[in-house]
Amino acid sequence: MPILELTSLSKHFGGVRAVDELDLTVEEGEIFGLIGPNGSGKSTTVNLICGVLPVTSGQVVFEGRDITGRQPHRVLAAGVARTFQNIRLFGYLSVWQNLWVAQNSMEDRRRENFAKRWFFGSGAERDTVDEQLEFAGLIDKRNELAANLSFGEQRRLELARALAARPRLLLLDEPAAGMNLEEVQALDGRLRTLQQAGVTIVLVEHVMELVMGVTDRIAVLNFGRKIAEGLPAAIREDEAVQQAYLGGNVGTMHA
Amino acid sequence: MDDIYLVTVVSNIGMISFIALSAYLLLVVGEISFGQQAFFAVSAYGSGIATAMWGWPIWLGLLWGALLAGAAALVVAIPTVRLRGLYFSVATLAFAEMVRLIFEIFTYQVEIDGELVGPDGSDGFRDIRAIYDSNVSAFEYMLIIYGLLAVVLIGFLILERSRLGAIFRMIGEDPMLTEMQGLNVTVYKILAVVMAGVVAGIGGALYAHLATYVEPKIFNVMLGVHALAYGLIGGLGTAFGPLIGVAIDIGLLESIRAISGYRMIVFGGLVALLLIVRPRGLLDEAAVHWLRGRWRELRRATH
Repeated sequence: MPILELTSLSKHFGGVRAVDELDLTVEEGEIFGLIGPNGSGKSTTVNLICGVLPVTSGQVVFEGRDITGRQPHRVLAAGVARTFQNIRLFGYLSVWQNLWVAQNSMEDRRRENFAKRWFFGSGAERDTVDEQLEFAGLIDKRNELAANLSFGEQRRLELARALAARPRLLLLDEPAAGMNLEEVQALDGRLRTLQQAGVTIVLVEHVMELVMGVTDRIAVLNFGRKIAEGLPAAIREDEAVQQAYLGGNVGTMHA
Repeated sequence: MDDIYLVTVVSNIGMISFIALSAYLLLVVGEISFGQQAFFAVSAYGSGIATAMWGWPIWLGLLWGALLAGAAALVVAIPTVRLRGLYFSVATLAFAEMVRLIFEIFTYQVEIDGELVGPDGSDGFRDIRAIYDSNVSAFEYMLIIYGLLAVVLIGFLILERSRLGAIFRMIGEDPMLTEMQGLNVTVYKILAVVMAGVVAGIGGALYAHLATYVEPKIFNVMLGVHALAYGLIGGLGTAFGPLIGVAIDIGLLESIRAISGYRMIVFGGLVALLLIVRPRGLLDEAAVHWLRGRWRELRRATH
């Protein structure tokens, strides 16, 4: 069953067609790779799904419901969370607070009454946040300001925060950017764990070791259009893809 | 003379603290309002009318003034919170000037004991005598001001440790990211503007009864600009920040006779200097975080 369907989705900035008549279907439970050269419309696509940018035309359907043009907070409430290409955290808040304020899934909202949510939350909620920090390996940093974390720690916190909303669909915008090989391998493992936990993942990424290894299927964008879609092995061999990326040279594709 | 002078200065610091806290709350959610003096004014007039003309007791007059200011803030908030940055600032300034001009022509007087009482346009509103009629001394009134300030300050400190307070800071830092945490930023911002309106309103009501006389020109834009500057001097990391700003301005610059003539120069220079070296004030978020950390360590060490 498809969890996410984009139907002739377009986004035009003036004369520039950042995303152009894009059709995409993501099946429930898969890790779906979205790749393409810089400026090919990957991040714009993520922004359209999340409601950050208004859609020019086309449709975004999540779990059979049309969520096109919904405000971002309503897209999250529907079950879609994301991370950012450039890390975005609340630097003036502590690590713990960053996760605490992200406990906004429907179950969490129902669990506590109004006053509890707005003031200090319940003990159970506080324990949940600590567990999530433990899982992210950030428990000993809980009282640090998020701005003072190292780059890798910030990435982990961002992912933990996206998961705190208990999404059924997770959009990751270049989570491996700036990571060393060891960190990429750890991320690979974490994504597989999430997949087993039932989270569907759309992975926008440039780091090919990660994309080729972890994804079930891949779509390739170029100039806002989909130029290829298929299994990782097929995409690796696809001529149009190699052309788009490298002007014919396959070198860095395997790097 | 010095005792009365001291009581007056300390009372002024207390009253101005309310409008400083009001502007601070909006700075926390990332908006610069040049119009908090409008809510101060609405409450000053509203509570004065209630006590001097309708004969309400003073505590009810204060409550009424604060609620009226909150209602005015709600009216302002609904169309303006979707505006960002400069546009919000201009809208609040326009609103405040509109309120001031309305009070310039607002006349509503009744005869009490053979005398006309009530707002009389640009001549102002005299004889708001509730605290004198009920024999409250200047010193006692100062205690009332500080009692209410303590209540509001405790409210702010609770807010800062609460989720709502964290959400306000999040909006100030990155509204779009806040929205993507599943939070309706528009609703939270309206709430912040209304809360700020109520806080300014408490100050306005206290002011009207201490001064016994209000006139529209008191509520000009300079009052709002000062209110903003207090937070920017004292710091945006905690509600103590704007209070420090008020204490520096009124406690030092205005009250020490030798330098009071240069107040605006020193004050303006201080704001400019701090905006360069410490853009979020003396007690900014990082400083407050550091202090909290030391405090935790200290408590652990003593236990």
